[in-house]
Amino acid sequence: MRSFIRRRLSRSDSVRIGVLGVGNIGSVHLKSALAMPGVDVVAAADTVPKNRDRADSAGVTRVYDDYVTLLESETLDVAIVALPPFLHCDAVEVAAETGVDVFVEKPFARSTAEADEMLEAASEAGIRVGVDHTLRYQPDLTGLKGAYEDGTVGHVPHASMVRVNDGPLGRPPVEDAPPAWPLDPDATGGGSLMELGVHCFDYLEWTFGPLEIRDAMIDTTLEVPVEDAATVLMEARETGTAVTLHCGSYQWEELPEVNTNVRLEGITGTIESEEYLPTNFYGSAALSALSNVASRFTGGDPAVYGPTFYLQAHYDALFDFVDSIRADETPPVTGEDGRRTLELVETAYELADEDCAEADALEVVS
Amino acid sequence: MNDDRSLSVSSVSVPRANSKGQLAARESALEVTTERSQAGGNNWTPAIDARMARLEGPVRELIGSVPDPFADAAEITLLPDVHYPFHPSTGMVTDPAVVGAVAGYLGNETSADLVVAGSSTESMDLDRTTDYLGYPALEERFDCRLRDLSSDRDSRVTVSLSDSEAPVELSIPDLLLENPVVVVPTLRPTEAGPIAGAMRTLGRHVEPGVEGRGLSDDRRARAATNAVEPELSILDATTVFAGEAFAAETLFAGDPLGVDTAGTTLLGRDVNDDAVLSTELGPGQTSIQVSGCDFDALRDRVPSGDLPPRTTTHPAVSIAYGLYAKVSGDAVPPQLEVDR
Repeated sequence: MRSFIRRRLSRSDSVRIGVLGVGNIGSVHLKSALAMPGVDVVAAADTVPKNRDRADSAGVTRVYDDYVTLLESETLDVAIVALPPFLHCDAVEVAAETGVDVFVEKPFARSTAEADEMLEAASEAGIRVGVDHTLRYQPDLTGLKGAYEDGTVGHVPHASMVRVNDGPLGRPPVEDAPPAWPLDPDATGGGSLMELGVHCFDYLEWTFGPLEIRDAMIDTTLEVPVEDAATVLMEARETGTAVTLHCGSYQWEELPEVNTNVRLEGITGTIESEEYLPTNFYGSAALSALSNVASRFTGGDPAVYGPTFYLQAHYDALFDFVDSIRADETPPVTGEDGRRTLELVETAYELADEDCAEADALEVVS
Repeated sequence: MNDDRSLSVSSVSVPRANSKGQLAARESALEVTTERSQAGGNNWTPAIDARMARLEGPVRELIGSVPDPFADAAEITLLPDVHYPFHPSTGMVTDPAVVGAVAGYLGNETSADLVVAGSSTESMDLDRTTDYLGYPALEERFDCRLRDLSSDRDSRVTVSLSDSEAPVELSIPDLLLENPVVVVPTLRPTEAGPIAGAMRTLGRHVEPGVEGRGLSDDRRARAATNAVEPELSILDATTVFAGEAFAAETLFAGDPLGVDTAGTTLLGRDVNDDAVLSTELGPGQTSIQVSGCDFDALRDRVPSGDLPPRTTTHPAVSIAYGLYAKVSGDAVPPQLEVDR
């Protein structure tokens, strides 16, 4: 193992960041980091030339075609791991060897076993691990959680959550060639539950406390190698809430409309997350833009990605992580939190497999 | 000079419900009516076997006695719309169950081997598309083979088009020239607006014969159709897409020009606005006889919209956001960058 000296950051120190992977979400992290006060984006890495060009034109000084070389060549405080899931473990282990804290895109790993390897490497090296679970930062979902905690609807016997998008295949018209890895179980560890379910599990446990999975169904709407639809029945014992989750990667999505909704059936009424979204996206975006322009002339800092709340959530998640590193504190969403979401995914897969096996057995008997 | 022309297209409605009553009543159910009184009766059925079972009768009725070229052929090429793995319930691709039902019928009625063909695109390899759409199950069941035509531009063919003196040279896969061809498009528009149809589906599998010489999609479609002269076109309107999906539960059969003209009318478009159809139909009046369904009633129900807008942000929005970011000091999200 390489030896390294961890830098103790003071409040005034710039946090030196390297971005590993500048694809879709990596470029959001890159732009967030570039806009973040007290952050110095030292370098970025990507195997895809177009993505490297993107980093270069965004103003990153050194751009690598290989994240290992970046980690071994640069002096960093934080590495943002925005690589495909099959590279997360290796990237975290290399970062651990070089004493760099990591902010890992979800899913944290492809399995709990892989997550354990990563956490062990991090623990041995004494690096901090954060995970990008952004639903905790979306205004609609924080608004709903706040209302629930304020007792707006009293006891909630049933909660339902739906998160559906169009997955890697997208919708018509066909614009780009979709990468193959998101539908490869060896590369991702699974389908919709890994891609979207982990976010939902994280949010639901954050809101209701520990969840116990009672049953699960998974399905494919096309003949793809991973599930693109999943439904999970859970119990939150602390709050006495039965929770259903449906997530899927089959529905055509037309941004800025995003199909994420949580609905709480309480004693005094029903509340849902959509109520905490701006009613007019474009009107709200314009107001936010005006507010940012005004703050520029009054000496204030702009809200980064002000007009786009879902991207702002990514900025806020990274900001809080960087803040925790600077303050030498535990990140707000830890590697253990990321591992817990994988544990729930694995339990759901096991229960769904058991149901399939039972159904097959019944067919044979009949 | 008499420029009047008549096209003939036959059609058949496809009952989706599982009830024996509906299947038994199919003989008299050639008008477009849908039974919605039974639970789940008219809903999409994920099981391809169940969909094929319901299509067997209508396909038999639609094709009728097998034409000579099929009966004498060693091999028949089926050419569905498999441009991308969109879900068949959207109408954006040919339902593989329709292809399966056609393959099953031709397999029974002829001694020909069957080929289901498509072409890989820049966006997606054909084998990935057909895998996701479930074609390997058809391959096994009907002993047909899947063939990617994108690398099979075997023959150079010269085609004359009615509106130009210069002939068009094409590179065409032999499987489209040597075998009788059944084109099986779905009823949907292209991104540009007109029907994707039989002629444009054919056009996607040929290339200009002279390297570097451009050929518009419309001329390519016309030239390909003239060169291939498919024996039959079956328009899959079991599910239509035109801004929204609609279960029209109907199959049409005829020559490419006929089914594309009927399809264009169903999609609420003017044939005269379609450069391919208007040129091929030529001047004068064209009447189209569609038998087997209440065409006017169907036309009233089929949507007439377009494909959804591109996800890429409109340049004007990107420019406005860039200006705002400059004034406010905010960051520009990657999705809104002007040069994206």
